[in-house]
Amino acid sequence: MIEFTSTPIMLTLILGAVGVLIPVINVARKEKGSSVYGVIALGALLAAIGFVVYQILTKHVTPSAIFSSNVLVDDTFGSFFAIAMLIVGIMTTVGSFNYMRGRANPAVYYSLILLSSIGMILIAYSTDLVMLFIAWELMSIPTYVLAGYLKKDPSSNEAAIKYFLFGALSSGIIIYGISIAYGLTGSTNIEQVIVGFSKLGPDMMPLAILAVGMFIAGFGFKIGLVPFHMWLPDAYEGSPPTIAALLAAGTKKAGFAAVLRVIIMGAIALNLHWAFALAVIAIVTMTVGNLAAIKQRNLTRMLAYSSIGQAGYILIGLSVAPISPIGIQASLFHILNHSVMKAAAFIAVAGIVTTLGVTHIEKIKGLGKRMPITALGLTISLLALAGVPPLNGFWSKLMLFGSAIDAGHTLSWAPYLAVAGVLNSALSLAYYGWIIRKMYFEEGESNKRLKEPKSVIAVMIFSIIFIVGIGVYPDPVIEFAKSAVPIMSGLPSIH
Amino acid sequence: MANALIDFILVSVALLAIGIYGIAVKRNAIRMLFGIEMIINSANLNLVAFSRYIPNSQGQTLALFSIAIAAAEVAVGLALVIVAYRMYRNIDIADFRSLKG
Repeated sequence: MIEFTSTPIMLTLILGAVGVLIPVINVARKEKGSSVYGVIALGALLAAIGFVVYQILTKHVTPSAIFSSNVLVDDTFGSFFAIAMLIVGIMTTVGSFNYMRGRANPAVYYSLILLSSIGMILIAYSTDLVMLFIAWELMSIPTYVLAGYLKKDPSSNEAAIKYFLFGALSSGIIIYGISIAYGLTGSTNIEQVIVGFSKLGPDMMPLAILAVGMFIAGFGFKIGLVPFHMWLPDAYEGSPPTIAALLAAGTKKAGFAAVLRVIIMGAIALNLHWAFALAVIAIVTMTVGNLAAIKQRNLTRMLAYSSIGQAGYILIGLSVAPISPIGIQASLFHILNHSVMKAAAFIAVAGIVTTLGVTHIEKIKGLGKRMPITALGLTISLLALAGVPPLNGFWSKLMLFGSAIDAGHTLSWAPYLAVAGVLNSALSLAYYGWIIRKMYFEEGESNKRLKEPKSVIAVMIFSIIFIVGIGVYPDPVIEFAKSAVPIMSGLPSIH
Repeated sequence: MANALIDFILVSVALLAIGIYGIAVKRNAIRMLFGIEMIINSANLNLVAFSRYIPNSQGQTLALFSIAIAAAEVAVGLALVIVAYRMYRNIDIADFRSLKG
């Protein structure tokens, strides 16, 4: 049994207790006011992240053991994702303070953010397909509600319905994949499933491939891999921009945690040519995402397509993972960086929506003078997304492309991944640069400085410090990502 | 065993196919919900049949969780559809076209 004081259990208790308590307080309290619930949720998230860091510093966390006979394992891999998800949760909560002022049901809103965060964290810790599926749903169901949070707004409802239909379809596909894996191996423990897969005879192998394919499709819907991406721009555009931050930076990255736990390990153990299939998906995903982003005129939609492109970059590291030792490390580093960059960009858009009520790119002309701090935060995060040195996105992209070139010793096609990645980065600078140009180099309707939402300023300052700080001194985070890489040597093999 | 495992799997694959057909072809939000329910239930049937055949209880455990989760999921989905109906007086998803690009 897993200990009561281990990280995943305690995080579930902290966040779950507060998440359930907030609506109760709402019922008991007479006077209205949204800030108090946000502050309570923020306190829970800060306590949770403090606990994770404390557990890591006091070495209560085992080294990255990707497998365990329990349903949950308290390892560095999970803690790495927990920290990334909790940072996203904190940024979303703080960024919502001003956005939620005067809107209905703030208590439920913050409570659902907390519950969804539990799901994201548990995905990263789970080592059993039953736990993984339940955590997946715990992450997804609150975000369906949050995406449709603006009840009176048709586009929010439309976003939620599209997101719900594709999300529910993806979880149906995942559970069908789990049922096949269980039928083949007689267990739902991920380690047992992979060991069982590697012992299958050739007549059963197609079914194992079908199961892994269903996992790729199911997780790929949430990650936004092309061809499973069609819901994503609609869902991000229609939902409140703060929730788009949670979706792009949180649920998407939790999907990568599930991919790492299940598919990558399974692909390595099965010794199949998944690397090539994943590489093709990576190149198609980044190219489609970046090309589609160029012609967008709406900021949130452009950022949504950009996040599809970024998923392609992360997949580079995963596809060369069996060969290159730095592949997964680079992916983890980029996952953490992208969480902060994308959350910062969406929170900046939320600030613009709160103050000006616009998301169209022509309407943000002259924003550099009207809302200087928001514009600066948005600029820094866009430059980091494009991978401009010396920001953090540069280092993680360098590592990703480096891992692809490193894998070139064994796989002749791997360096082309790096070429595609560099070309796509250049392409993406076109639309990121365009937003920056509109904000700084074109005259707006007025140059009068507007009052920026305080909570958005706080998020912007945090993310500027994070992005520039890691860009200047990336070593500790790279080391942390390295310690979070699962140990490959213990894997079963059919070589 | 009276019933061979293959019978259950055939029914489950048929249900999966009907569910995917329903989602791919129908444009009524409620009908698409039916399709999703069918996919989840085909997986449940698989899990219970495998669980009896292997035999161990893990599959039935997951099937129980999955039934509960599917109920929660559909509750959220129906709520969203009701909100949409209040706005559009219609639940044809082809009519939801405010987001484009």
